[in-house]
Formats: sequence, C-alpha cells, structure tokens
Amino acid sequence: MKHIGKDFTPPDIFGKVTGKAKFAEDFTAEGMVYARLWTSPMPHARVKSLDVSAALAVQGVVGVLTPDDVPQSPAPNGSILTNEPVYVGDPILAIAAVDEKTAEDALGLVKIELEPLPFAVQPTDSLRPNGPTARPEGNIFTREMGELHWNEGEVERFLAGQQPTAKAPIEWQYGDLEAGFDNASVILEESFVTPGYAHMSMEPRSVLSYWENGKCFVYGSTQSQAFIMPFLAPMVGVEPKDLVYVGEYCGGGFGSKISPYPTMALPAHFAKKIGRPVMLRITREEEYYIGSARVGFQGWIKAGFTPDGKVSAVDLYIVQDLGPKRAGGDASSAGGAVSILYQPDAVRLRSVPVMTNTTPRGPQRGPGQNQITAVFEPMMDKAARQLGIDRLEIRRLNAPDSNAKLDADQGPVTSAYMQEALTLGGKRWNWAEKSKRSGKRNGNKVTGIGVGQGYHSAGANGFDGLVRITPDGRIHLHSGVGNLGTYSYASTTRAAAEALKCDWDRCEIVHGDSSLHLPWSSYQAGSNTMFTHTRANWVAATDAVNKMKEIAATTLGGNADDYDIDGERVFQTADAGRNLTYGEAAAKAIELGGKYSGMEPPEDIHAITKLALAGVQGTGLIGVAKDTLPKRGTAPGFAIGFVEIELDLETGKHEIIDYLAVAECGTVVHPQGLAGQLRGGAVWGFGMASLERHVYDPQNGLPANVGFHQCKPPTYMDVPSETDWAATDIPDPDNPVGARGIGEPAMGAATAAVMCALSDALGGHLFNRTPVTPDLIVNHVAGVEQPFGPLDINTI
Amino acid sequence: MDIAKVREDVWGREVIAGVSWDLLWLVVVAAFVVIIAHIVIMLVLKAKAKASDAGKRLERHTPFDRWFHWVTAASVFVLLVTGVFPIIGINFSWLTIHWIAGIVLTLAIVVHIVRACFWQDAMSMWIAPSDLSEPFDDAQKPGKYSLAQKTMHLVMSVLVLVVIATGIALFLQIDTPWWERSNAMTEATLGWMFLLHGLSTLALIGVTALHMYFAVRPEKLFYTRSMFKGWISEHELSANHDPARWKPSE
Amino acid sequence: MPAYDVMPDIELFQPVSVEDAAELAGRLGEKGWLLAGGQDTFGWLKDRAKSPEAMIDLKGIDALKGIRETADGIEIGAFTTITEIAENPIIKTRFNLLASAAAHVASPQIRNMGTLGGNLCQDTRCWYYRRGLSCYRAGGNTCYASGPESMNREHAVFGASRCVAVSPSDTAPALVALEATMIATSANGSREIRAEDFFVGPAVDIVNMTTLQADEILVSVRIPNTWANAEFYFEKVADRNVWDFALVSIATAMKIEGGVIRDARILCGGVECVPRRLTAVENRVVGRPKNDATGDAVAALATVGAEPLHQNQFKIPLMENLVRRALRA
Repeated sequence: MKHIGKDFTPPDIFGKVTGKAKFAEDFTAEGMVYARLWTSPMPHARVKSLDVSAALAVQGVVGVLTPDDVPQSPAPNGSILTNEPVYVGDPILAIAAVDEKTAEDALGLVKIELEPLPFAVQPTDSLRPNGPTARPEGNIFTREMGELHWNEGEVERFLAGQQPTAKAPIEWQYGDLEAGFDNASVILEESFVTPGYAHMSMEPRSVLSYWENGKCFVYGSTQSQAFIMPFLAPMVGVEPKDLVYVGEYCGGGFGSKISPYPTMALPAHFAKKIGRPVMLRITREEEYYIGSARVGFQGWIKAGFTPDGKVSAVDLYIVQDLGPKRAGGDASSAGGAVSILYQPDAVRLRSVPVMTNTTPRGPQRGPGQNQITAVFEPMMDKAARQLGIDRLEIRRLNAPDSNAKLDADQGPVTSAYMQEALTLGGKRWNWAEKSKRSGKRNGNKVTGIGVGQGYHSAGANGFDGLVRITPDGRIHLHSGVGNLGTYSYASTTRAAAEALKCDWDRCEIVHGDSSLHLPWSSYQAGSNTMFTHTRANWVAATDAVNKMKEIAATTLGGNADDYDIDGERVFQTADAGRNLTYGEAAAKAIELGGKYSGMEPPEDIHAITKLALAGVQGTGLIGVAKDTLPKRGTAPGFAIGFVEIELDLETGKHEIIDYLAVAECGTVVHPQGLAGQLRGGAVWGFGMASLERHVYDPQNGLPANVGFHQCKPPTYMDVPSETDWAATDIPDPDNPVGARGIGEPAMGAATAAVMCALSDALGGHLFNRTPVTPDLIVNHVAGVEQPFGPLDINTI
Repeated sequence: MDIAKVREDVWGREVIAGVSWDLLWLVVVAAFVVIIAHIVIMLVLKAKAKASDAGKRLERHTPFDRWFHWVTAASVFVLLVTGVFPIIGINFSWLTIHWIAGIVLTLAIVVHIVRACFWQDAMSMWIAPSDLSEPFDDAQKPGKYSLAQKTMHLVMSVLVLVVIATGIALFLQIDTPWWERSNAMTEATLGWMFLLHGLSTLALIGVTALHMYFAVRPEKLFYTRSMFKGWISEHELSANHDPARWKPSE
Repeated sequence: MPAYDVMPDIELFQPVSVEDAAELAGRLGEKGWLLAGGQDTFGWLKDRAKSPEAMIDLKGIDALKGIRETADGIEIGAFTTITEIAENPIIKTRFNLLASAAAHVASPQIRNMGTLGGNLCQDTRCWYYRRGLSCYRAGGNTCYASGPESMNREHAVFGASRCVAVSPSDTAPALVALEATMIATSANGSREIRAEDFFVGPAVDIVNMTTLQADEILVSVRIPNTWANAEFYFEKVADRNVWDFALVSIATAMKIEGGVIRDARILCGGVECVPRRLTAVENRVVGRPKNDATGDAVAALATVGAEPLHQNQFKIPLMENLVRRALRA
C-alpha cells in the first residue's frame, strides 16, 4: 500500500511545535469581554437569593448571566448554570467584564445565599437506609432517576468485601453461571475499588462565542468536530446551519470532551444577552470541577477457572459512583470486557449506579474496561499460580480469536487475534526469560513482572466521507473528525489517498472548522475513529474514483468499467494514452454538474454532510458517500502490556524498568501515531495503577484534587524514557484498509500490567484497588492495617 | 470597633468567629480610667480613718475558703496569661497549660458551689433587696459581705461560669489524652463559643483589674490580709460591718 | 464561591537594597508580602486566598543573591535559586546534603525560579488550608484536617497542636542537620537564628511556619564548617519522582571515625510542622558503626511518641525505614 502503514507528518504538528497553533483560548474577537464563574461552595444546595447589584456597579463589568437566563435541563442532566448545585464547583452565575481581573473583583461582591442540602461523597453512604441522596430526585440513575437504599446489613456486608446480597437495578447474564462454577477447580472471590479520577485535560475547556448576522460562532475545545454540530446547535438555540464551530486543536479530552458540555454554551448565551463576544477561560481549578472524572467502582468479583485454566464463569457486582449528573455504562462495559477478553462460558453482571455529590463523571479512556482489567488481570495471575499455569499461557488459552463472542448478547466480532498478539509479545519481551526474575530480591528491592490486557470496542460505521478534487489537481480531504491529539483526523484521510492512489503532497486535509464544510463524523471517542473513518474516507474516495471513471467514459468514450486510475490520472485500461488528469476530470465535473460536482447529494448522507456539500458544490469533483460497507460484528481493539518493575519494599516506591505494548488493532495505518497512542496510553495506565487520585473530604464534600500536583498524573520522571511497542498488523476483514482502533486498550493494558507486576513483586498479594500508592505498600510490608475498609472508595 | 470577628465558614457563609481582640485595649483603657477616677473621687471624698488591726482577732475566712480563693485566683491568672499573651504577640506553647488551668478552675468552682450550697450560708453572698440601700445610708452596715463585695462576687461568678461553660465546649474540640477531637460542632456554634469565651475573658480582665485595685486600696487592705491570714480585728469589724448581722467566731 | 485565578490589584515595591526592603517591611508589617521566586506566592495571590495590600519584590536586591565563602563556612543569599544551590561546586563538595536536598525540590522549572529563602519560608501544603478555608492556620477556629473523617494522609505524625500541617521544605531538614543559621534583617538591625529555632510549630505559633517577624526579611543562610565533608544522606519519598512534596524525607550528617559514628544529626521532613530532629536516634548511634545492625537497633527510636492521624500511619514504618537506609553502610 502506498500510504497505509507509512509514517507521515500530520499538518497540525507544525502549529503545535512552533506554538502557532490556536487553541480556543487563543482566539479573540473585536469587543470581546471576559466571563468568570461563581461556582457552588457546597456539595449540594439550593439558591435562596442572589444579589449582584454590587458586582454590577463595578466599573468595567458588562453583565451578569444567571440560571434564569439559560435553559434548564431536568435532572440528571447538567445545565449551563444552576440554582440547585449538586457538587462543589457547580457553576451558578457568570460575570462578564472588560478583563478577567475586573470580572473576578466583581465576583467577590456577589451575594448568593445557599441552603445546604444533604450530600454524599461515597456511593455506599447514599445506599444506607436513610442515606443522603445526591439529588432531590433520587440517588440512582439507570434510564431514569430513582431512589434506592439497602438495609444496614447489606451495606456492611458489601463494605466488608463479602458477597453482595442487595438487589441491583441493572443485571444481565449469559450462560449458566452455576454450571460454570461447578466446572471450576479454582474459584476466586475478591472485592475491589477503582476510584474515578479526573480526566486532567491539559487544555482547560475554554470557549469563545459571538454572534454575527444571525450565526453563532463558537471556538471550543472538543475531541469531536462534526459530531458537535447537531448537539451544540440546540444548546445555543440555533439550527446547525447557523452554527460555526471551530475546534481545530484540542489539548486533550480523554473522554471528557466527546460531546458539547453545558458550559460550552455559556458564552453564546452570554454574548447574545450583552451583545458582545464573550471569552470564558476555564481555570485549572474549574477544569477539575466541570471537566469531569472517571466513574468509580466499588465491586465484588467471583471467577471460576477449570483445571486447564479456562475461565468458566464470572459473577460481577459493581456499585458505580456516577457523580451527580448523567453518567454510567461503565459497569456494563466492564462486564463486556470480561466477556471478550477471557471468553467465559457464563458471565453475570449486576450493577448499582449511584449518584454522589462529587465531580460529574463521564466516559474516561476505557470507561469500565480499564477499571475491570486493573483488578481482573491480577486475579488471572492468582488463578494461574493456583493452577500451576504460566501467567502468559493462561491468557493465551482464554484469548479471543475471530470466532469470539462478547457482551450479554454474545454477538460476533469482526476479527480478533489475541493469541497471536500474546505470542508476539511473549517473544519480543522474552517472557520465558524475564518471568524468571519474578520476585527476585536485590537488597530491599524486589522485581515484579506483569502482563496485562486491555480491550475496548474499536470501530463504528455509517458515517460520511467527503473528498473534493479541484481543477488544479489538488485533493481536498474533508474530515469531520476532531483533532483530539491522536492524529486520527489526518491518518484516517490516508485511506482516501490510498483509494485515490495519489501522492500525499497533492492532498490537503480540511478540518477543524465547520465553515470549511466538513462531513458528518462519529464522535472521537471509544477508540472508533480509525476503523470508522478509514471506511468513510474510503467510500468517499471510491465515489470520487467512480465518478472520474464515468466522466472519463463520457469524455473519452467507452464505459466507466473500461477505466482505471493511477498516477493521479483516470485512464482506459486498454489504452492508457486515453486519460484525464484528476484536475481535468475535476474541471469536467464542474462542467457536467449534477452529482459530479456535488449538486445532487446522495439521499442517505447526514444533514450535516448535506450542509457541507452545499458549501462545496460546483467547486470540483465531489466524492461523497455514507459508509454502507459490511460490518459483521463488534470491531474489537486490544492491547497487551508487558512490564518489569523494581519495587522498593522500604519506601513503597516502584520503578518501571521496561515496558512493551503490543497492539492488536488490525493493520497499522500510521506507525508513529500508533506508537504515540501506545506510549501515551501506557503513561495513563501507569498513572491509574499507582498515582492518580480522587480525594474528597467527606465532612464537607470538598474536593482536594483541584490541581495537577494534588491529582498526581505521572511526570516524565515517573515513567521510563523509552518503551517498546509492537503490533500484530493482521488486517481486519471489515475495514477496507484493515484497521481497527487502539486508544483505550493501550491504557488498560498498562494499568493491568503494572497492577500484576506490583502483585507479583509482593508474592501475589492483591491490593484490589487503584491506585496502589507507596503508603499502601509500606503498610502492607510493615504488617500495618490499611486505614480504610476494603471497599472504601474515598481513601487517600 | 467590632465586637465580633466574622469569617467565612467551610462553605463560604459568614459566621461569627470569636471576639474582636481589639476590644482588649478598650477594656484595659476602661479599667484604667475607672481606677483613676475612683482614686480621684476617694481623694476628694477623704477616706474614713482606717480601723485598727489591734485587738481581738475574728475569723473572716476559713483556711479552706482561703485556699479556694487563691487556687481560683491562680488558675484565672494562668488562664488569662496563657489565653491572652499569644493574642498580643507573645508566643509560647500555651494550650496545654491553659486547659489544665481550666480544669483546676472548673474543679475548684464545682467544689465551691457544692460547699456553698450544702455546708455554708449561701445566702450570705446573695444580694438581698435591703442591701441596695447600703451605699446611700451611712448607718446601714453590711453583714459578712458588703454590697460591693457581693456584686463583685456575682459578676465574677457569672463570668467564670460563662468562661468555664464555653471553655468546656472548646475543650471538646481539641485532642486530649481522653478523647480525640471531631469536627462535629458547626462553625457557627463554634464561633459563638469563641465569642462568649472571648467576651467573658475580656470582662474578667476588667473585673479582675478592679478586684485587684480594691484589694490594695488602703481602706480595704484588711480584707486582703484576711484572705491571706483569715482574720480581721474587732475594730475592723465594727467599723465596716454590722455585728448584729455577722457574728464571726474568734 | 468565585474560582479565582487572577491576582487582584496589589501595590508593588521593587527595592534594590536590603535596607530599603527592610524599611518597607517594617512600614507594611502584616499588610506586606515578601516576593522572592513567587512559587508559593502566586498560588496564594491568584487564588485570592491571601490578600496582602502590597508586595515587596526582592528580585532587584543583588546582596540577597549568591553563595560566598566565609571564615567559618559559607553564606548563601536568601534569593539564591534552588538550582544554583543544587549545582554549586562548593556546596556539592562540602555540604552535599544541601545540594542533594535542593536537587529534590519540586521540578527543574520550579528550582530555576524558586529561591532558598522561599523554600524555607514557604507555607504548608495542607490542602484544606490551601483551599483558603478559615482554619486555625488561617486565623480561624478549627482544623478540617484532623477530624476522624478528614483526608490527612500527608499530615503530621508529631507535634500537632490543633493544626496538623507539616513542613513542606526539602532544604529545611538539611540545613538543620548542618547547624545552619538564618540571618534576619529588619529596620532595627539583624539577628541570627539557629535553623532549629527558625521553624515553629503550631503549639507556639499556629499561623506562622517560621519565627520570622512581619518586619523581618530572611537575607541569608550561614552554614558553618562544623559538618563540612561529613557523611551525608538525603532521601525524599514522595508519590511522584518530580513535582511533589515529601511524604517523609530524611537528612543526615554523620562524622565517622575509626569505623564508628562519632557525631550525628538526623532529621525528617514531612512528619511535623517543623523539621523533626531525631535526637534519640542521634544519641543512640554515637559510638556504633554505620551499618544495618545499627539501623535495625535504632530505627524504632525514630518514631517514639508519634501520634498518627487516621490516614498517615504509614509514615511511622516509612520513617523507620528511612532511618535504616540512612545508616546503611
């Protein structure tokens, strides 16, 4: 292949390394004013009165925006501003002024009287018989809000780590659980905790908005681009055609910026009210409030293993910490991950999605999958030890292949090659040799070896592609994919270039600004983009190719079938001398009009693509199509992490000596991009395993984690300077270039590997919680009881 | 000058946080002014001749009462020094001494109350309506205690009881050998405790200053002696008290 | 609650001499704020959690910068950056304990900006206090960090008195170990304070971390040759390897003659509001060889009297382990 599997330089890199890239905060507009937020100091309250007179009297203050000025969404949805804050940091009011200092001076004069309401920071507190509910509407959220309380015995039993007996509102199962456990020779029962911690996007979610001739302009920070349009438009009160959304760069979202979030619409409403452009710069502290966090798990697992090491049955019970707003799905995804990674005969998932008055939650890199592998993979090791099976081998013999089934409905996959991936990794890592170092003492240090697996579904379908060839021969690859930092907006367009058999330097990626006419795209999340948009680009490019053949046939005679393409020409197969350059074909397309120049949109394309098409029609040869390629099941993304650590038993600190990531994500499209995902995912994984924290004061519902140094994402000194990677590079049959996604498994594998290695270094001890911080290890080694119960989620 | 300090509580609500210690200087100045004024008035009025301490010695304070007085005085003094010096910038490790002195004071007061109620003539210290004419009638002499002394005792009692009650509430908020603190008390309540503790402390400073001043006034010095030695002379008795209303033993 | 992020207007003085700075400090008193590297300052001011009326920027005072040799050791200007201290050849040669401690401060960027004076005078990192809450240390009536449900993993195991905050400085234990003295200047003159007496706990002063008065400026730190070229050990255990504060740190200076320890200064950071001197350990190690057996014999002495809060019990074994490591041959 000409482009697939080759490195290239995504165009946004130049802006990033020179500092010329414009993130939302870097834009300005004439007459722009600055908004600042007044956020709730209480974890749950009701606004009794609100007095802004003194604030408005400050010179330079331009206006105030209150909850009454913006639409209110019913619980558990978040609103732009609220009279019923449900967590510390929930925005209540905004003030705009000529500069931020003035706005903050004025904020200090705002008088808001709040009535405190009951609050919960730990789900099990809310589940107690008379426990506080995070919202007046209730304390659980399934499809709708409800209220659920256990009896005291059920809470205590659960908190003690025993088999839960309380009813769970969400339950699914496949297979015969009892038969599975009957067939097991080893049955493990473990309780576990994975607190949800902040997404920690480097770029806070600042937004600039203004109105011009009835159009609303929004400059924001999102993972997705075209996907934002139909959701943001109603939030700011316009039709998608009247919304211009610029999100050319995004300094990290990790799941927290998939869709528009309420505060994203604040400047638009404010700008409309005061008639001036409004910049809302979100501070680091505010980013920790509104920037969301992972869903927390308090859970219990029972897993059965047959004598030959097959996982026969898994019973999962998960209490989810949803925060105070709409969230969830993590627990089911956790069950799904277990179902595919180990192919058990039976799985039951029960889940209790409980709301708390803590940071709002949202999907975070491997939501559910990465929590569960962090605790289940060490259990695989424990079972392997008890069965006398090698730890890599037990994974290989449970590994999914292309006949694998997953989730409650036991649906198929497009393909899976985990056995090959484990074998590849085992060889490259030299597992046979390195695993012998397991438990080796060097003074006070002990070596731990770990292998961990990660999974996430990694591909969607049904989205649109748009390719435009202009008479100058330039190929404009319109990408509705957001620039979330993975370069997928660019690497997916390589499929179009591949289909067009053109040189890359003839191509220009058009992206990042809806006024540049971008086609409908999936959200940039769920590791789907690589699979989804190589397909969409492929079908659009194929449409362009077909149209060029038709144009050539019309112009040069014969049938379209008589023509082929190469060297940026469409030529007659029988007589290559009869040809048109792409530029000539484009000029001809404009002349012919109709579908060739985009004047007749296909019926099945999305309204957003139709809008885009309207903007480019008549400017060249237009390839536009909806992806209707076959997809026979879930496109899975897998990764495996191999890690060697050295754990200092005296300080509880560990060093990562060596790390290998193996990707099982189909054909490698962009090696540098994949390496970046595997490395970045590993850093995230290391962070989840041993560093990143979620700390709430239960007395007053205050978050401690409002800054990088308190949350402790890994620094460059906490991760190895070099890590290795490999990929199976086996094409997926349901993707035209063979690709699937990888982003989320890349993290989950690393988390699981480090958790396994820490356990390995301590002779198989399972902490059953993330993060495993030095204090846990020091206490364990010293034989000191940990200062919290096994199921406490709010611990450090 | 504010009476109370106001601060924001953990949720940003304005709550009382305690007394405004600027008042300390007001109290000091006020006590000073009152004392000077009293000195001047007494000079102008020309004090009565001092009664002789010769002759028969009559018991005014039993040894137990004298002990009680001085233990109370010492503990109040220690409490004031340890409580107030850090506020005026003289830093030292004061808290443990403060609460130990507080316990001593509390125990002393409890013993005193029990003793006064069951073993002593509690009413001898109680202000009766008839006492109120005492300052206006040279002929009316008091029983064991003059109206001034009863008033001083009453004011002291109220202040000490308030300072002890609030002190105990605050004591519960710190770690001690017997319990670990909790954050159960709301900040608003805590602030009121600090305010009352501070206000009663300030009043105690003023009242103690007056008490000490009167104790060293020449015409009242024999009372101070009696608090050390227990006795007054029969002349002192007849000059200042109505023997019909108070018959001390020898 | 406004989520402040912008400094309010504040009067700025930029003196170029210590005298002028001291005069300003005297005039402004509690209303003034000394600005050195700003690594502690700007957080407080941007959060508007502290509101001084005026700031005295010490950056223009050359006399506060640099490392000088004196008749009996060295003198380090309080404005000398942490990086300069970590890299200074004299300090590395003679007082490597300090160089090593300095090298463990925060991150390279912060070390480039942060000064020795700032590192010593920085306020505690108790997250409740840093949030701007009206706790004891902020002049209020309570401690949010010491209740039975408080999140106090990083807090004190020794010397708490209502406030349970710990000293965050990495250089402080090293300087106490080296028997350094601090020179504080005010308009009324200068005074020399033993490093050990420079830091103050909540029992004595609950709102300040040092005995520096409002009208005083820390101008320099003197390190006598008493411990020059002794055997040093510094280790900091923090969650992260960079940009983090010590959970527990240890700084030791030992004089070893004839195979036995003749004299020792052993301090821990991160366990008390002041650098904690392990006097019992110091006394016990004298006359013993520096080896594992000595470490094992004395480690438990390090934590006698410790009173852990409900989340920081781990600091006790960690301290003992660090003592063992410091005494390892």
